[in-house]
Amino acid sequence: MLADPFNILLIFAGVLIGVVVGALPGLSSPMAVALLLPITIALEPVPAIAMLAALYCAGTFGGSITAILINAPGTPPSAATALDGYPMARRGEAGRALGLATFSSVIGGILSLFVFLFAAPAFARVALEFRPPEYFALALFALSMLASISGKSSLRNLIAGAAGILIGTAGVHLTTGVERFTFGVPELTDGVHFVPVLIGLFAIGELLAQSGTASVHYERIVASVVKLPSRADLKRVWPTILRSTGIGTFIGVLPAEGATVAAIIGYNEARRWSKNKDEFGNGAPEGIAGPEAANNAATGGAMVPTLALGIPGSATTAIILAALIAHGIRPGPHLLEQTPEFLYAIFGAMLLANLMFLGIGLIGAKTFSRVTLIPKTLLWPGVLVFSVVGSYAFASSVFDVWVMLASGILGFLMIRHGFGQAPLVMGLILGRLVEEAFSQSMIIYDNEWWRMLERPIVDLFLVLTFLGLFWPLLRGLAMRPTKKESAP
Amino acid sequence: MPPERDAGFGSRAPLVHKPDAALAAVIIVIAAGLFYLTTGFEQVPDLLSQNVGPEKFPRLVLTAFVLLALGLPIEHRFVRGGRERLDSDRRRPIGTRTWLTAGLLVLIGALMPYAGTLLSLVLVCLLLPPLWGDFRPRVVVPFAIVFPLIVKLVFEDLLKVSFEPGLLAFLVD
Repeated sequence: MLADPFNILLIFAGVLIGVVVGALPGLSSPMAVALLLPITIALEPVPAIAMLAALYCAGTFGGSITAILINAPGTPPSAATALDGYPMARRGEAGRALGLATFSSVIGGILSLFVFLFAAPAFARVALEFRPPEYFALALFALSMLASISGKSSLRNLIAGAAGILIGTAGVHLTTGVERFTFGVPELTDGVHFVPVLIGLFAIGELLAQSGTASVHYERIVASVVKLPSRADLKRVWPTILRSTGIGTFIGVLPAEGATVAAIIGYNEARRWSKNKDEFGNGAPEGIAGPEAANNAATGGAMVPTLALGIPGSATTAIILAALIAHGIRPGPHLLEQTPEFLYAIFGAMLLANLMFLGIGLIGAKTFSRVTLIPKTLLWPGVLVFSVVGSYAFASSVFDVWVMLASGILGFLMIRHGFGQAPLVMGLILGRLVEEAFSQSMIIYDNEWWRMLERPIVDLFLVLTFLGLFWPLLRGLAMRPTKKESAP
Repeated sequence: MPPERDAGFGSRAPLVHKPDAALAAVIIVIAAGLFYLTTGFEQVPDLLSQNVGPEKFPRLVLTAFVLLALGLPIEHRFVRGGRERLDSDRRRPIGTRTWLTAGLLVLIGALMPYAGTLLSLVLVCLLLPPLWGDFRPRVVVPFAIVFPLIVKLVFEDLLKVSFEPGLLAFLVD
């Protein structure tokens, strides 16, 4: 695949789009992948997924540029980078900050890819032994992890996830042929197409949210020449980069978690292990290296469950999973068993993407920061044009445009009331798997669902599900101040 | 009441947070309506459904939906930051500009089958910038004409997508 110049061009295009989108506050990787998805339908599956994967890597990195230069993280995973990146830039070391961010991102991204290369087949081999009860329990576990996705509230994340599953039940029931929730609309017999929903939730929901905010004029710090970290900086940040890469990869592998959680934990751990804790918040090199290595490492980690199990590792990989399905490919252990070249193609594409944004970060960071000069009064109509055209193009249906608009309004209301869009997407993508596995399990056990508990892997996933659901609550109770501490 | 006692775990705030109680009520009403709809699903013989009828899974999900929603009114007592955090985005009323933007989006959806894709997109690119405070016709008009045209051509020529011609059908012919 990498020998084909057209594919390399596609990967480069994915990287460019990813860096631009990542640099723009208000736009996000999931949004960009959702908008690009209809375009990639016309491509062969492998180059299409390679382009989207490249965008994923680059988008996660792109947010660090504006996080450092204008203190406006382009993407949620870069919010932690701004804590030390912007102070470092303000004291005249923007080039150093960008160099640290770029280098850490690339190392984190590349090392996690090697984990992906070995872990994905290993996971797939284990998953070959899975039967419907195991898949049901695994999908439940993945849904339970929604409770700990960053957001205002675990409960609202779970409700959003349930709403996504519910939306996915619309259409003809595969086993019986009965129409469910079609309301007499012929276009709904096929179910709700997920591409317009994805585009609506992320793009239109944000567009409506932006309509209510004033235009922001960012004070940009002029960046000096961006260069690779000095020997002294490298010596200082290597342990942080390696530690954060491990953290980010592990968190990426966990279903539903992604780069944002990885970046926050990467930053916290960098601070915890640092001998210079009081520098944090004022331009500590580890404060940049930690979150950047972690958030890019999460991209490689998130591809492991996505390809090996068909369970998305993050919101963006949920959309990549949707892209695979749209191309007629069902991710899972059989995919890697029957077409192992797919794994190597994705590995190669993401490796190339990481190397490309190393070059972009070192050479073009100053240029890319200028994208914030695009006025939002032109940027968002542009996003709307892509949204309408992309939604329509998926099935050449005006009805999908309506689905996109309705999802956008829903997305806006969800943001307003503290519900996450990513959990709804996860629910929508996972819902079909959950129902299929559930139905098959009920058939196997003749409705005696408790017999599923005789299977040890099911029990393991159910215990993990319990922890995933109640961990935020248990952690909060554990951190609750005692009566003695809270007494005036 | 000191803020730290009014938020999060162990707070002394009232048990029920009214905006979330209203939200929970809306969710429960929607869920109840959808549950009722499941009673109207076509009945199939047990042999065909293999004891897993088409209504079973949606009902399970709706039940979980309702149970989760019941926690919303009291959730503020268990969330770090409490009511302040949960209300931070909805405290501000939805502005006129947002309502008008939403109305414009609905207009696009309604217009597309008749006016055609290109004209609808040109229209939205002409109307949205001034709605958002950009009154530079020398910038907006060329953008509104050129950008949708380029995007449409990319999808039509490269991806072979056919769009609704609408009022511009004579050009296609």
